[in-house]
Amino acid sequence: MPTTNEQDERMKKFKNKGKDTAAMRRQRMEVNVELRKAKKDEQILKRRNISFSSMGESLSPEQEKKNATAQLSLEEIVQAVNGNNPELHLKATQTARRMLSRQRNPPLNQIIEAGIIPKLVEFLSRNDNVTLQFEAAWALTNIASGTSDQTRAVVEAGAVPAFVALLSSPHMHISEQSVWALGNIAGDGPMYRDSLIHNNVIPPLLALVSPSTPVGFLRNITWTLSNLCRNKNPYPPLEAVRQILPVLIRLLKHEDKDILSDTCWAVSYLTDGSNDRIHVVVETGILPRLVELMGSPELSVVTPALRAIGNVVTGTDEQTQMVIDAGVLAVLPQLLQHPKPTIQKEAAWTLSNIAAGPCHQIQQLITCGLLPPLVELLDKGEFKAQKEAVWAVANFTTGGTVQQVVDLVQYGVLKPLLNLLSARDGKTILVILDTISNLFLAAEKLEETEKLCFLVEELGGLEKIEALQTHDNTMVYRAALGLIEKYFASEENPNLQPESDQERPTFNFSAEKPDFYTF
Amino acid sequence: MGRGAQEGIYTAAFRRWLDSAVMELSDANLQTLTEYLKKTLDPDPSIRRPAEKFLESVEGNQNYPLLLLTLLEKSQDNVIKVCASVTFKNYIKRNWRIIEDEPNKICETDRIAIKGNIVHLMLSSPEQIQKQLSDAISIIGREDFPQKWPDLLTEMVNRFQSGDFHVINGVLRTAHSLFKRYRHEFKSNELWTEIKLVLDAFAQPLTNLFKATIELCSTHANDASALKVLFSSLIQIAKLFYSLNFQDLPEFFEDHMETWMTNFHSLLTLDNKLLQTDDEEEAGLLELLKSQICDNAALYAQKYDEEFQPYLPRFVTAIWNLLVTTGQEVKYDLLVSNAIQFLASVCERPHYKHLFEDQNTLTSICEKVIVPNMEFRAADEEAFEDNSEEYIRRDLEGSDIDTRRRAACDLVRGLCKFFEGPVTGIFSGYVNSMLQEYAKNPSVNWKHKDAAIYLVTSLASKAQTQKHGITQANELVNLTEFFVNHIQPDLKSANVNEFPVLKADGIKYIMIFRNQVPKEQLLVSIPLLINHLQAESIVVHTYAAHALERLFTMRGTNNATLITAAEMVPFVEVLLTNLFKALTFPGSSENEYIMKAIMRSFSLLQEAIIPYIPSLIAQLTQKLLAVSKNPSKPHFNHYMFESICLSIRITCKANPAAVGSFEEALFMVFTEILQNDVQEFIPYVFQVMSLLLEMHKNDIPSSYMALFPHLLQPVLWERTGNIPPLVRLLQAYLEKGANTIASAAADKIPGLLGVFQKLIASKANDHQGFYLLNSIIEHMPPESVDQYRKQIFILLFQRLQNSKTTKFIKSFLVFINLYCVKYGALALQEIFDSIQPKMFGMVLEKIIIPEIQKVSGQVEKKICAVGITKILTECPPMMDTEYTKLWIPLLQALIGLFELPEDDTIPDEEHFIDIEDTPGYQTAFSQLAFAGKKEHDPVGQMVNNPKIHLAQSLHKLSTACPGRVPSMLSTSLNAEALQYLQGYLQAASVTLL
Repeated sequence: MPTTNEQDERMKKFKNKGKDTAAMRRQRMEVNVELRKAKKDEQILKRRNISFSSMGESLSPEQEKKNATAQLSLEEIVQAVNGNNPELHLKATQTARRMLSRQRNPPLNQIIEAGIIPKLVEFLSRNDNVTLQFEAAWALTNIASGTSDQTRAVVEAGAVPAFVALLSSPHMHISEQSVWALGNIAGDGPMYRDSLIHNNVIPPLLALVSPSTPVGFLRNITWTLSNLCRNKNPYPPLEAVRQILPVLIRLLKHEDKDILSDTCWAVSYLTDGSNDRIHVVVETGILPRLVELMGSPELSVVTPALRAIGNVVTGTDEQTQMVIDAGVLAVLPQLLQHPKPTIQKEAAWTLSNIAAGPCHQIQQLITCGLLPPLVELLDKGEFKAQKEAVWAVANFTTGGTVQQVVDLVQYGVLKPLLNLLSARDGKTILVILDTISNLFLAAEKLEETEKLCFLVEELGGLEKIEALQTHDNTMVYRAALGLIEKYFASEENPNLQPESDQERPTFNFSAEKPDFYTF
Repeated sequence: MGRGAQEGIYTAAFRRWLDSAVMELSDANLQTLTEYLKKTLDPDPSIRRPAEKFLESVEGNQNYPLLLLTLLEKSQDNVIKVCASVTFKNYIKRNWRIIEDEPNKICETDRIAIKGNIVHLMLSSPEQIQKQLSDAISIIGREDFPQKWPDLLTEMVNRFQSGDFHVINGVLRTAHSLFKRYRHEFKSNELWTEIKLVLDAFAQPLTNLFKATIELCSTHANDASALKVLFSSLIQIAKLFYSLNFQDLPEFFEDHMETWMTNFHSLLTLDNKLLQTDDEEEAGLLELLKSQICDNAALYAQKYDEEFQPYLPRFVTAIWNLLVTTGQEVKYDLLVSNAIQFLASVCERPHYKHLFEDQNTLTSICEKVIVPNMEFRAADEEAFEDNSEEYIRRDLEGSDIDTRRRAACDLVRGLCKFFEGPVTGIFSGYVNSMLQEYAKNPSVNWKHKDAAIYLVTSLASKAQTQKHGITQANELVNLTEFFVNHIQPDLKSANVNEFPVLKADGIKYIMIFRNQVPKEQLLVSIPLLINHLQAESIVVHTYAAHALERLFTMRGTNNATLITAAEMVPFVEVLLTNLFKALTFPGSSENEYIMKAIMRSFSLLQEAIIPYIPSLIAQLTQKLLAVSKNPSKPHFNHYMFESICLSIRITCKANPAAVGSFEEALFMVFTEILQNDVQEFIPYVFQVMSLLLEMHKNDIPSSYMALFPHLLQPVLWERTGNIPPLVRLLQAYLEKGANTIASAAADKIPGLLGVFQKLIASKANDHQGFYLLNSIIEHMPPESVDQYRKQIFILLFQRLQNSKTTKFIKSFLVFINLYCVKYGALALQEIFDSIQPKMFGMVLEKIIIPEIQKVSGQVEKKICAVGITKILTECPPMMDTEYTKLWIPLLQALIGLFELPEDDTIPDEEHFIDIEDTPGYQTAFSQLAFAGKKEHDPVGQMVNNPKIHLAQSLHKLSTACPGRVPSMLSTSLNAEALQYLQGYLQAASVTLL
């Protein structure tokens, strides 16, 4: 006899027909291959400090004016930086910086090939010449904003320790430029990110955050912090995450939308992982504010906040419950109806993972009025949002009680669900067929199979399922065939197979005992 | 020709070829191969087959495929070239795939050589051979592309620059066969990596080729043969576009959407006299291309709406113009239905509503797109008269998905989503004017009325099922009024053969709107329908039969039939007469609709048919005899047997003694069917016999006993379709005649058990074996099976040991518990332990306790509950041997059986078996609904409520050994189970001592 505990285990299996909730929850897809254009709503990895942009200009107006007319060729620059004339050092660095800050076709590779990077790095340590320091930092920032190879050129010249040191420069424009450069290096990938962390970048960086830090500077810091949180394989070290999180929570209280956006991106990176990673974030109590920001009027804030929350509900039932307790179900309806299809899609994905939970969480979906917008999205949403909505319905019907499934049907899920059987996407079709099968299991328990058959046929579903029996995908046509044979086969289809013409009077009946049975 | 000589040649050749596993690429070998290929084309199988066999026997040799390729390239004989190419393709199909743990069937050097040459060969061959090689490439590609065939793409793309469109088309066709799987495979990293690779290498060249081809089309606008080649390319390119864009919108195509869509758009509007074909049936290149472009636009509209939005309105206009200007010929059907479906899917989307809402637009769509495509065309008329089966299938059963009428209907429904009022208004005007045209001169203008009826139907029907007809109707259309004014008059006309199409329309109208038309109108229609069973047109009398059948299945209040038997009294005779008469029309002698109507009429009329039974059963047996010569219509046959079963049930319910007269009427035909081994009918015959035998109140008649030995013949049991009805028939024998078998046919018992043994050995049929075994245990006198009991258990233990499945365990549990109920718990324990010491304990511990939760079915669970109760309370070894330690776990399992949900999990490795072999999944078995068996509960009389029974039995046990039961319970039973148990004790009003 199973102990009570084992019984619970089995009851759980029974409810979800052998799929456990972890398997139903769908992590953000590990996309190794992407056919689409890179997403426009992703956060920027690296940024160049472009000349005449208000910020760069305002930082050093007088030098800018003084040297506005100075022009040197690349060879002259090389000569100058390698020479001993401090004035020419500045002039050359400044010219190089200007070239690198051009709006169009900055000559990153030419500058790298000219071999002046080691010199520029050296200039970073020239505490005696603040202007030179600044110009070198700016130039290197822009080189580091390029491709991985270009970033590597900066790192391999030993820029990291120099920049980390400059974070504590008494001159704010220098420490700010260093923050920027380090952000670009961190954005290159997990390797440089971790090497920054090992160079102890975090304490001086966090020290820069204070109530008196100007907003523009704070934006740069936030962005660099977000790059320090970014990327998996491997994740940033847990210790670093623990150091950064309290500051992120402070930044989340800010009013500036860029700061909020980048902070939310940071949180979304930290939650994009296994349950213990999620745990580190949610235990800080950050969730209510994140949920609040999902309702922000700014798309640039909503997008990462929603992502972060979407990531958290891929976690355990308890973590998901914390999200629910933070009030997510009050915000999701408006996001499911958001004018941007990508927001609809992310919202539906989030919903699908909540629907993968235990039935008391599913009940909260019903109570909080999530079903009407879900059905609406299934009916009229953009295709990629509809696909997520299908998953939500599928999970709902897998884990929900019979009554909950009945509720779902009464909200009109069938018609749009069946319509999507003509979608041009095999996987979606298969998920719908599985869902229909779940609906029939519920109907069987209520002895209303016939009624469901009627509805499915009336709504044009039967015809579509029949047509799917000729689908080219084996799994799709098998699923369609299975449904037809189980629920829609008319009286019977005689089909006999003949075989064998052996003439024996009767079978023999005999048994020999084997040595020993063990079962 | 002497056979000996032939064989001599084969043997000699065979030896020469087999001497080494490598065939030289020599002229002699090419010559030999040519000879054999020639022979494979010989119509005489005695020459063809050995040659085919021979070729297969040498195909494992190195160089064999290269010999074939050499032949198809160099042979002088065109027939041999084609034959070599087909043989090569089949060889690739059979052998190319490398299956794990099996030998590689093609040696590596051959593989490399084939891949190195085949593209070039394909492209330089004439079309017939090119097609075969192209197929072969795609088979190879499926296995090797891209990793093991990295050059393929570059090789293909390079050919684009050749400028030779024969070559280019070959490449495009091959690419299509390689890439078309992107349309149906599920997203995976592997698949997307491949697609990405293809896109990187292929998308730009394809786009360049697309642009270049379009330019060439305008420079060669006056050259018909050049245009044909160029348009073939464009079709292939458009297909490739669909495949490459199917999984997701690739970056490249998003960046080049302008190029593609602008050109697609202008191709949609393009026309060129030189490309028009005279053929009315076959779609021409222009149609095929435009049709594919509609598909491409529909793909983008459905999946990439956000990106496609700027282009969509242009496509709507172009496609709509295309529809307005496209003719009625059959060759345009696919294009028109694709184009209409595109509009139908777009007009339902809320953000495109504005494209349609203008009144002029709506009117124009209704007038120029919908109405013309609803017209009854010459081709329809032809089908109505000469190919009525096909016509009915399309019109009645909804296999019309690709037809114009259907597409037009879908567009009406789509438009009604937002514009129901205006659309209904526009069409009402049309319907009226068409009806007026008809009224002016019916015999000339009857097609106008047909269109009017079709329009009303499509406008009014919002939702529909086969069983109920229309279930939701447009409230703006007055269906009853139209019925009374325009449908009934046609059906009331004295001449049932006049305007058959309109009659069929009218009958169909009744059929589909049966839930909207009031009952009194349906009652008025019934005699009209019965009358039309006499119409000569197959469509008309078939529709009449079908309409009646549908009306008879309608439900009224209290779930009773809407049309009652009493209301049918005046029509019984004419209905039955006309139905059977309709079966005598040429072309309708095995009409399944009529036979189904007969079945349904019997079922509705019940005892009202009894006076006619002698004549009915005579006609049915006559029909049975006739069709048994060559059974060809499965549905017809099925309904015929159902009708026979109904006749038996209805008659014998009123007069049980009548069973004898049925046996008299039927057994002769049945005997013939069994003797002639009419395989399609044998399962039905067994079911009817079971029904008849179960009707007998007394002992089994001798006529059945005479048949008994024949039922045990192995040959009958070899066919899976026979097994369920035969098992049921044997169960009926056991129920009615166990004593007779024991006394008069005891020598057949081993044969009967042999059937059990045969069934139990199969994972698919073991449950049937248990059905039989359960009946034997339940009904046979114990002494008649005594000597076999031990062997039975040994067989079961062997299956349990060697190949147990969940299904087997479930059946096994039911059986041993039934045995326990019947023979007693002690007997069960004794027989187990006599086979092997401590066996009883092992079965309890390893099978019963852990698996009992899996038993399904009310009766089955009850049997198990009573059996286990007996083991707990009537089996002394459970109380005083080492088995005692199992007592509490067994009790707990029993309480679990009562209280926990059924465990329907299936181990992973059994999923396959689950699909193929579970009861009820056997399509080979044609179960008759009206031969149905009532559920049988072998413990029914003995135990009513098994929980109370458990309580009472425990009470009895506790009085026999006071103190022991409560102490066991209190020390080891878990709290939850104990609570349940106390509930049972309370309900039974007993306390344990």
